[in-house]
Amino acid sequence: MNDLNKRIEEYTKKFKKDISEVRDKKSLQEVRNTYLSRKKGLVTHLLRELKTLSPEEKPEAGKRINELKETIQEELQRVEQNLESPRFTERIDLTLPGKKRYLGSPHPITLFQQEIEDIFVRMGFSIETGPEVETDYYNFEALNFPPHHPARDDWDTLYVTDDLLLRTHTSPVQIRILEKKKPPVRIIMPGKVFRKETPDPTHLPMFFQVEGLVVDEGINFAHLKGTLEVFLKTLFHEKIRIRFRPSFFPFTEPSAEVDIGCTLCQGEDKQCRLCGGNGWIEILGAGMVDPQVFKNVNTDPEKYSGFAFGLGVDRTAMFAYQISDMRNFFENDLRFIRQFLQK
Amino acid sequence: MRISVNWLKDYIDFNVSTSELIDRLNNIGLLVDEWEETEEDVILELETYANRPDTLGHLGVARELGAGLGAYLRPKEWPLIEADEKTSDLVDIQVSDETLCPRYCGIIIKGVKVGPSPSWLKKRVKAIGLRPVNNVVDVTNYVVFSTAHPVHAFDLAKISGEKIMVRRAKKGEVLKTLEEEDIALSPEMLVIADSQKPVALAGIIGGENSSITEETQDVFIESAYFDPVSIRKTRKKTGIQTDASYRFERGADISFPPQAALMTASLLSQMGGEAAQQVVDIYPKPRKNKTVVLRNHRISKLLGMDIRRDFIERILAKLGFHIENKSPESWQVKIPFFRVDIDREADLIEEVARFYGYDKVPSVFPPLKDVEPGFDQKRARINELRQSLFHYGFNEVLNFSFSAPEKEVKFHTGRAAIEIKNPISSKASLLRTNLMDGILENIIWNRNRGAGGVHVFEIGNIYFWKNEKYGEELRLALATTGMIEETHWAESPQETDFFHLKGTVEAFMSKLRYEPFIFKEENHPYFEPGFSLLLYYKGEMIGGLGLVRKDICKNYFLDEDVWGAELSLKSLFEKQPQPFRYTPVSRFPCVRRDISFLADKDIYFQEIKEALEKLNIPYLDRFELYDRYTGSSIPQDKASLSLRFIFCHPRRTLQAEEVDRFQQRIIHTLKTKFGFQLREGG
Repeated sequence: MNDLNKRIEEYTKKFKKDISEVRDKKSLQEVRNTYLSRKKGLVTHLLRELKTLSPEEKPEAGKRINELKETIQEELQRVEQNLESPRFTERIDLTLPGKKRYLGSPHPITLFQQEIEDIFVRMGFSIETGPEVETDYYNFEALNFPPHHPARDDWDTLYVTDDLLLRTHTSPVQIRILEKKKPPVRIIMPGKVFRKETPDPTHLPMFFQVEGLVVDEGINFAHLKGTLEVFLKTLFHEKIRIRFRPSFFPFTEPSAEVDIGCTLCQGEDKQCRLCGGNGWIEILGAGMVDPQVFKNVNTDPEKYSGFAFGLGVDRTAMFAYQISDMRNFFENDLRFIRQFLQK
Repeated sequence: MRISVNWLKDYIDFNVSTSELIDRLNNIGLLVDEWEETEEDVILELETYANRPDTLGHLGVARELGAGLGAYLRPKEWPLIEADEKTSDLVDIQVSDETLCPRYCGIIIKGVKVGPSPSWLKKRVKAIGLRPVNNVVDVTNYVVFSTAHPVHAFDLAKISGEKIMVRRAKKGEVLKTLEEEDIALSPEMLVIADSQKPVALAGIIGGENSSITEETQDVFIESAYFDPVSIRKTRKKTGIQTDASYRFERGADISFPPQAALMTASLLSQMGGEAAQQVVDIYPKPRKNKTVVLRNHRISKLLGMDIRRDFIERILAKLGFHIENKSPESWQVKIPFFRVDIDREADLIEEVARFYGYDKVPSVFPPLKDVEPGFDQKRARINELRQSLFHYGFNEVLNFSFSAPEKEVKFHTGRAAIEIKNPISSKASLLRTNLMDGILENIIWNRNRGAGGVHVFEIGNIYFWKNEKYGEELRLALATTGMIEETHWAESPQETDFFHLKGTVEAFMSKLRYEPFIFKEENHPYFEPGFSLLLYYKGEMIGGLGLVRKDICKNYFLDEDVWGAELSLKSLFEKQPQPFRYTPVSRFPCVRRDISFLADKDIYFQEIKEALEKLNIPYLDRFELYDRYTGSSIPQDKASLSLRFIFCHPRRTLQAEEVDRFQQRIIHTLKTKFGFQLREGG
């Protein structure tokens, strides 16, 4: 009896294996014969052996053998049907490529700009915008550039009339917002800006900037550093090297420029095409809002203080993605743009 | 500005490696862009700022570096070999415009032997990238690049009437410059003249008629202070920028002209000349130094940290500031004339901070106080719109806002383009009044580089004049041409068409809930007549879509069909979209009825759709056109339209008889209104 049970189990396992290897009708027939042949079938044998059992053992063993027989018959039938369906008769090469949907890709600059915006939005900044064609007042004078100051030469300007120009930075939005909003103010101002520059790998007559402004009582230079460090570490990575050094902008005092350690050579390559070998990349202009700017928007610089910063989206994206020619961004070559589907 | 390290060592002692020197300079805000090590010197290319003319000479840079390294400037002697005469005996100097020339000094050096400079001077001149000319020219250059104060040398023999007049130019006067260029002078310009003629454009360039030559014997040295704004205006008008104008424009040190004159005289007398006694100094209204009060608590408040008082006082002293008065809370600081950038307390705080070291200021995340959280609806909508466009296979592009007049005009936008006064090129002299121009450029660019299909969109501003005011309008343009999907072995390639474009427009309009929107077959200046639809929302025309006109495409060498659309997002976003509303899904089965008709080909589907919507059939959940057929089995002027109607009741199963009644109403309307014939098996 024990021997019979063992064999039932053995045949169950063996059949599972045999049937899984069937690929055509011939091998199917062979499997059928192995188990169910009226003369030599393994199951037929088992049924014959039933006779040798005692009357108490018979019903239980008979039930189990019949169950096995039924399972085998069902499986044989299922496999036979499969073999007849065209899916199996004409075999398909499943390693052929799958069907893909053609999805449009975002432009890397918009993508990168949003990445920047998202970081600041998470820090509680809101987004403000302003016109691209600006007056001299908002672009220069209110930002503490006197009418005939040589500082204006650093912002090569495209003029429409004597008083109307293409904004050279997004800083005019600072003035427009401070004119109508009382502190506390915590905003970023992304947008298109223009300079009178002939296109070359690192200069373009139009590019994108994100400007930031925080104004409140008690805002100080340490806050400026804290905010920008969090921003740069989030945008690049936790271990990026950051350097603040003194600089000059008419609308901030003290002013700073912020460098990051070169993203390509980490300061190792004296001929580096990204940092030129000095190991640092200039990434942000920043500073404490100049008291004159506060006066221009009727805010008391003794009561309020603030910091402002600005960075070029295109320029920063160049470093982040190690793109060596800024003009790539505006050629709109789909082979370039569509790589950013994966970003 | 090129800086020679050896030259700096004339003024201060220091012994640090080049890389440490560069770090120190960077840390105090004198950015070294590049550097170069020569056999006996190190040359630094220094970035200077518009507000720091004092750093346009080695002395100023040495002063800064000294403060950074803790070294004081070494005083330098300028001995003179003097002649018997006084300068004032030899020349009569008159300043007729004190506003444009607040201070004018001069000294005469007699018997100068013009010739090659001594080798130490040649080295200095070469170090800053100039070519040695002769000892007189080289000395004046040496003085400028040492002190940042420009001086100019005239050949005294060429000054007629022994008279130097500092006056405005007269109308019609012309000056031939050292560079042999004729400059037409005008009365807002200041000149140096002799009794007859202008001999120099003040503070900018000398005249050829008074220049130093090998025959020169006696030299008149001018060392003056000119009004920065006037210099800048003249420089811009004449287009002549020189080392002198660059410095005067940024503001020279008004206390310095006598010293610069003496220094020049001393050097020239060491080369064989004799200096006349006494510098002539015309300074009718001597200026007073500015004073600025610096408060201790403001430093802490602005920087977010405390700095020790003795450090503050030491740095101010090293930089040449004089503390006139002090109390436990504040200092009264006298500002030297060479620091034209220091006016306010914040300026002094920057001085303290940059020498203390920005790296030593802690980094603190500011407390996030109650600021009203702004949520920008417009940006959210733009983003949803972009996502829809990506989904429909359109790639985002960004084009320059500039355009060329000859291309712009072809679009007949009806907008007056804004012209740039000083464009970077004639092909970029306007601001665009349409986005399609850029899009077509993108298409041909990609076609020429092997793209089988191009499907792109741009979101950006157009610019125009409107009633003499400038305007900007946010727009969306999209276009599609060529093959649509990526090629696949199991499918035949599919070409894009108008309905791919239109489907995309319908999809984002619906996604943004600007519904119901209406299309009308009307002309649009970019599109071929008969292949042009205008899109309306709430009665306002939002934009158009269609087949881009062939004569426009020709300008871009585009032969193929380009299907394009351009919409005003400004107009769209000014309107309210429908609020989002959720409708419960019916738990009862819906009933589907398919009906086919024969209809006249020239009936617009839009009209059928509107008529069916107007019927307000109860429980009609939606209907769609699922087939349209024209061909040999039906009359030539007819089309077979198959419509599918889905009826759902929210609370019960619909009876076949009631749906039959609705169906009859639909058929009746379509028959009577449009003359539809019911097709068998529909």
